[in-house]
Amino acid sequence: MDSRADRVSAASAESATAGSPPAVAAVGVTKRFAGGVVANDRVSFEARQGEVHALLGENGAGKTTLCNILTGLYRPDEGEVRVNGNPVRLHSPHEAQAAGIFMVHQHLSLVDSLTVAENVVLGWSRHGGLGFSARTVEAEIEEIASRYQMAVDPRARIWQLSLGERQRVDILKALYRGASILILDEPTTVLTPSEIEQLFSSVREMVAGGRTVIFISHKLPEVFAIADRTTILRRGRSMSTLEIAETDARQLARLMVGHEMSFDVHPRATSVESEPAPAVPPVLALDGVHVRGDFGIDALKDLSLAISAGEILGIAGVSGNGQRELAEVVAGLRPFSRGTIRIGGENVVSGDPRDAINRGVANIPEDRMGTGVSPNLSVAENLILKSYRSSSPHAGPMLLMRQAEAQATALMARFDIRAPSPRTLVRQLSGGNVQKVVLARELSSGPRLVIAASPTRGLDVGATEYVRSVLVDAAKQGAAIMLISEDLDEIVELSDRIAVLYEGRVVGVVDAATASYEQLGLMMAGATS
Amino acid sequence: MISIERSLVTPRWQRIALPIASLFIASIIAGIVLAVSGHDPIGTYQQIYDASFTSAGALTATFVYATPLLFTGLAVALAFRMRVWNIGGEGQLYMGAVGASGVGLLLGGWPQPLLILMMMLGGALAGLLWAMIPGLLRAYLRTNEILVSLMLNYVAGLFMYYLIYDSTSYWRDTTSASALVFPQGKDLLPAADWPGIVFGSFTMPFGFIAGGVFAVALLALIRFTRFGFEMRVMGDSSAAANYAGMRTRRTIVTVMALSGAMAGLGGASQIGDFGHVLDPRGLQQAGYGYTGIVVAALAMYNPLAVVIVSILIGALTNAGFALQGPTFPIGLVGTMEGIILFSVLGGEFLGRYRIRFGRAPEPAPSVDDEAGAEVAR
Amino acid sequence: MNVDVVVSVAVSAIAYGTPLVLAGLGELLAERSGVLNLGVEGMMLIGAVTAFFASQVLPGPGWAVLIAAIVAAAAAGAALALIHAFLSITVRVNQIVSGLALTIFAGTIGLSSYAGHVWGVGGQHGLHQLVKLDVLGLSGVPIVGPILFNQDAFVYASWGLVALVTYYLYRTRFGLYLRAVGESPRSADAMGINVSRYRYVHTIVGGAFAGLGGAYFTLAIAPIWTDGLTAGAGWIAIALVIFAFWRPGLLVVGAYLFGALSSLGFTLQANGVQLPSELFSSLPYVMTVVVLAVASTTMAQRRIGAPAALGVPYVREEG
Repeated sequence: MDSRADRVSAASAESATAGSPPAVAAVGVTKRFAGGVVANDRVSFEARQGEVHALLGENGAGKTTLCNILTGLYRPDEGEVRVNGNPVRLHSPHEAQAAGIFMVHQHLSLVDSLTVAENVVLGWSRHGGLGFSARTVEAEIEEIASRYQMAVDPRARIWQLSLGERQRVDILKALYRGASILILDEPTTVLTPSEIEQLFSSVREMVAGGRTVIFISHKLPEVFAIADRTTILRRGRSMSTLEIAETDARQLARLMVGHEMSFDVHPRATSVESEPAPAVPPVLALDGVHVRGDFGIDALKDLSLAISAGEILGIAGVSGNGQRELAEVVAGLRPFSRGTIRIGGENVVSGDPRDAINRGVANIPEDRMGTGVSPNLSVAENLILKSYRSSSPHAGPMLLMRQAEAQATALMARFDIRAPSPRTLVRQLSGGNVQKVVLARELSSGPRLVIAASPTRGLDVGATEYVRSVLVDAAKQGAAIMLISEDLDEIVELSDRIAVLYEGRVVGVVDAATASYEQLGLMMAGATS
Repeated sequence: MISIERSLVTPRWQRIALPIASLFIASIIAGIVLAVSGHDPIGTYQQIYDASFTSAGALTATFVYATPLLFTGLAVALAFRMRVWNIGGEGQLYMGAVGASGVGLLLGGWPQPLLILMMMLGGALAGLLWAMIPGLLRAYLRTNEILVSLMLNYVAGLFMYYLIYDSTSYWRDTTSASALVFPQGKDLLPAADWPGIVFGSFTMPFGFIAGGVFAVALLALIRFTRFGFEMRVMGDSSAAANYAGMRTRRTIVTVMALSGAMAGLGGASQIGDFGHVLDPRGLQQAGYGYTGIVVAALAMYNPLAVVIVSILIGALTNAGFALQGPTFPIGLVGTMEGIILFSVLGGEFLGRYRIRFGRAPEPAPSVDDEAGAEVAR
Repeated sequence: MNVDVVVSVAVSAIAYGTPLVLAGLGELLAERSGVLNLGVEGMMLIGAVTAFFASQVLPGPGWAVLIAAIVAAAAAGAALALIHAFLSITVRVNQIVSGLALTIFAGTIGLSSYAGHVWGVGGQHGLHQLVKLDVLGLSGVPIVGPILFNQDAFVYASWGLVALVTYYLYRTRFGLYLRAVGESPRSADAMGINVSRYRYVHTIVGGAFAGLGGAYFTLAIAPIWTDGLTAGAGWIAIALVIFAFWRPGLLVVGAYLFGALSSLGFTLQANGVQLPSELFSSLPYVMTVVVLAVASTTMAQRRIGAPAALGVPYVREEG
C-alpha cells in the first residue's frame, strides 16, 4: 500500500487544477419510497476527477440509493445530478452509462455458462453490426486488463472463475464501455486479501488515467488505504466530506453512527442485576465455527460466542459480514465445517433444520415472506408449520384442522394478529401481522433459543414496539435470544450484551450497559486495534 | 393513466364464475368457427350433447373415454400441485397396461375379486416404478424431471411395441388365427374382465368408480393428512418447507410414486375395463397421458374437479368419434377442446389482474406467487 | 455389409430426418430462449395440411406454387406458435400445459384435421411435389452421389438452415443475447436485453420451422394428406433437441440417426442379427436420460445442460 503522504500530495496536485467542476455530483437530492421511508434527505455529494472517493455509512444510510440515482435506476424526487458541472436527467441505466457512469454491484449479473468475452459484450458492443468476433473482443479485453493490472482469461467461462475474478469481469465490462465514473459497491466483501491488493492497484491505475472511482464501504481500514476523500452518510443525510489525510478512524466512526452524547439508560440494563454466574452451560455455544457462504468463500471464520438462558445477545454489524449465515447455521439451515455448536450442552447435527427445531430452537427469519411463512396457506396452517409433526392434537397420519383452527384463534388473540379468521391466507396480511404469525408460532412452543433476524424491519411503529416487547418477555421467561439487527439503536436498547461481527468474526463483545456508540462504530467498521 | 396491477385476493365466487364464464366464451368462439365453416352451431352443439349423454349407449361410451383421463388427470393433479412436473403419465400408463395384462394372463385362474385386485396392483406398481426414475433423479440429483419423464415415455412406448410386435414375449399371441396374420397381444380370460355397474340406461366401468374413490382419497390425503400438508407447503414455498424441517426429497419421491401409480392404474383399467388385451398402437394413438395433463390443468389440479373435467372431455371425444362422418368432421373435437383450454387459461389471467385508474404507487413488496396461487388451493 | 444397403439406409435416413431437422431447429431456438414448446406436433400438422392445400389450389408454375405453399406452411406454424407464446410469456401459463393444449387444438383430431375436411383435401392426390435434383451432375457418383447430390431443394435448404442457425447462435450478437436469455434472463434483462421480445420471436420462428417440417411431408415424402400424417415426428423432434443438448450440429446427426435406426432395424434382422430394432431405437432416449442425470451432478452441467431458465416464466422483480 502507498503511504498516505504520497497520495496526499497527489490529491493536492489534483485540487490545484482549481475551477474544474467535479466529475459527478448530487445536489440536494431527496428520494422517498412508499411507506414514508426517506432514503436520501437533501444529500449533497461530489466526486472529483482522478480521485478515489469513499462513501461511508452503516446500514440504511442511503449509500446504495444515492448510487442508484447516480446510475439512473431511480429518479430523485428533489434535487439534481450533475456530470462535469452540467445537470443531467438520467432516466435509465443506459443514459447513465452513456454519460460514463457505471456501477459494479455486490450481486454480479453475469451469465455463468458464457465466456468472459461474451459477458463483456452482452447487450452492447463497440462494433455494432451483426457479427460477433470473439477473437477481436478477446484481444480488446486483454489490452484493457493488462493496462489496469487485472488478470483475466477472456476465454474462460464464468462458472470457472472465482468471485474475485468475476468481479474483475464486471469492472472490465464498465471499462470496456468507456466508464469515466466507476462506482464500486462494497467490492471487498467477496475478495481474499491478495485480491484486495490487486483491486486497489487497479483502482489506482484507473484514477491515474483521470477516472473517478466512488467506493462504497463501511470498512475503515480499506477506506484509509485507498481513498482520497470520503463522504459520510447517516440515516439518509450527508454528514460531512473530509480529506482522508486530515481525519482519523474515531472521527469517522462517530460520524457514521452518530450520538455525540452517551445514550440514556435503557430498560434492559437496569433489570440485569449482577446475578451469580450460572452454573448451567449456556443455551447456545459456538466454538471455532467455520461456515461456507454461498459462493465458496467462508462467511464465518473461527467464530465463537455463547448465550445464556434469559439473556439477549445482540449481534451488531453492517449487513454482509456473516449475520445471515450465523442465523442460518444456528437454525440448521446451513452446514458448518470445523468447530462445534452446542445447544444446552449437546452437539447439534450440522445442516439439519429439524434437529435444531427438536432442540427447541425458534427462528424468526429475516425474509419472513419468503422463508418464514407459506404465503398461500392460511394463518392456522402457518401456525402449525412446525408443530404438525407432534402428536397432539393430531392423530396418526391425519391432521385435525378443526383443532388447529381453534388453537389458531387462541394464538391470534394472544399475539394480537389482526386477520378476519384463521383461514385467511397469510399473503393477505400486512407485514406486521405476518411477523406476528411468525412470532406466535415460534414463541408459543416455549423455545430454549430464539434467533431473531431483523425482526422489526419494514414494520410500523406499533408493530415494532409489539415485537420488541414480545422478545423481551420471552427472555424474561428464560429463553436465550440472539438478536440480529441492522438497527444499532434497537440492539443497544434490547440487548444485555452486544457482539460485533466483522468479516465473519466476532471482533468484540461488550456489555450493553457500558458500551458507547463510538466503540461499537469502530468495531463495526473494522477499526479496532 | 391506466395501469394493470396484480390483484392479491381472488374472491371465492370469482374462482367458480371465471371458469364457467370462460366455458361460455369458448362455446361462442367455437360457434363462430362452426358458422364460418358452414356448420350450424346450435345444431352441432345439440348433436354433441345427444351423442355424449342422451342417446342410447352414449353415456356408457362417454365413460369409456373418461376413465383413462380420470386416472391420468389425477396423476398430474397430484404431482403438479407440488410443482413436480411429471409429464411421464403416458409412459407410466403404458407400463401399467403391461403390468396389469401380465398379471391378468398369469393369474387367469384366480377368483375374480382377487384377480382384479392383483391386476390393479400390478398396474399401479409398474407405473409407480416407472415414475420413480425421474422422481429419484429429481430428488437426489436435481435432474430436470420434465426431460427425463418425457424421454421415458418414448422408451415405454418402444418397450410395449417390442413386446407385441417384435418378440415372442409372454404377452404376445402366437397361436390364434388372426395372430398369424398380424401381431397382436394375447386376450385375457373373461374372468379378468372388470365388471361395470349398470345404472339403468348406462354402465359405469369399474375403473371409473375406482378412480372416483381414488379422487376422494387423494383429496383427503392432500387436505387432511400430515403428508398432504407437507405437499402443500412444498408446492407453495420450498424455502418455507426446508425452514420448517420438512424432508423434501422423500416427499418428492413419494409424490412421484403416487402419481405414477395413478397413471399405471389408468393403464390397468384399459386392460381390465376395456380392451382385455395389450394394444400398443391403440394406446399410443389415444395419448391419454398427455390429455390427462390438460384435464388436470382445466380442473385447477383439484382431484374432485378432475372427475368432472374427465367426463366433459370424455364426452366431447366420444361425441366426436360417434358422430364422425361427412357432416361432422372429427377435427372439431380437438379444435373445440383447444378453444375451451385457451379460454379457460386466458380467463385465469384476467382473474388475476385488475385495471386501476390513476398513478400506480411506488413498488410494493413483491410476492411472486403465480404458480403457488393456483397450486396451493 | 452390402454397400448398396448402406447407401439406401443413408438416403432414407435423410428423407425421414429432414422434417426432424427442421422442426428440431425451431424447437432448439425456442428452448434456447427458455420456452419449452410441446406443441410441435400440432404445428407440423398444420404446416402439412396448409402446404398441401396451397399446392392444390394455387395457380401458376410448379416452382412458384411450391414456394408459396412452403411460405404458407411456415406462416401457419408461426401463427399457432404465437398463441403458445402469448400464453406462456405474457399470461405466464404453465408452458407444458400451453404446449399440450396447442397439440390437442391443432393435432390429429383437431384443427389440422378440421382444415383438411373444410378444404376438402383428404384423399386428393398432390399436384406438385418437390423433385430430387441432380446437383452438379454428380448424382451418379458411387456412394456419395445419391446421398449428397441427389436430394430435393428442401433438404439442401435444411442444411443451409442448420449452418445459418449455428452461425447465428455462436457468431452473432443476437445469438449471444439469445443464449444469455435462456441461461440467465435476469442478467440479460440487467444488460438491457428485452427478454420477452427474444422469447416471442424465437418461439414464433420455432413454429414457422415446425410448419416447414410438416410441409416436407406433403410436398416431398408423399403427395397425400391424412389426419395425423406426421405420426409423432413432432414429438421426436422435441426429444431430439434434448438429445442434441441444444446444439444444431448434434441435432442433425441425431435426426439422421433416428431416420437410419428405423431402417437399420429391419436391415439388421434381414442380415441375421437378432437384436430387436426397438433396442436401438430406445438407446438415444436412454442415453439422454443417463447424460442428463450425470450432468446435473457435475460442473459439466454448465457446459452441456439445458438452458438454465428453460420452462420458467420470467418475472422482473420490482423495485
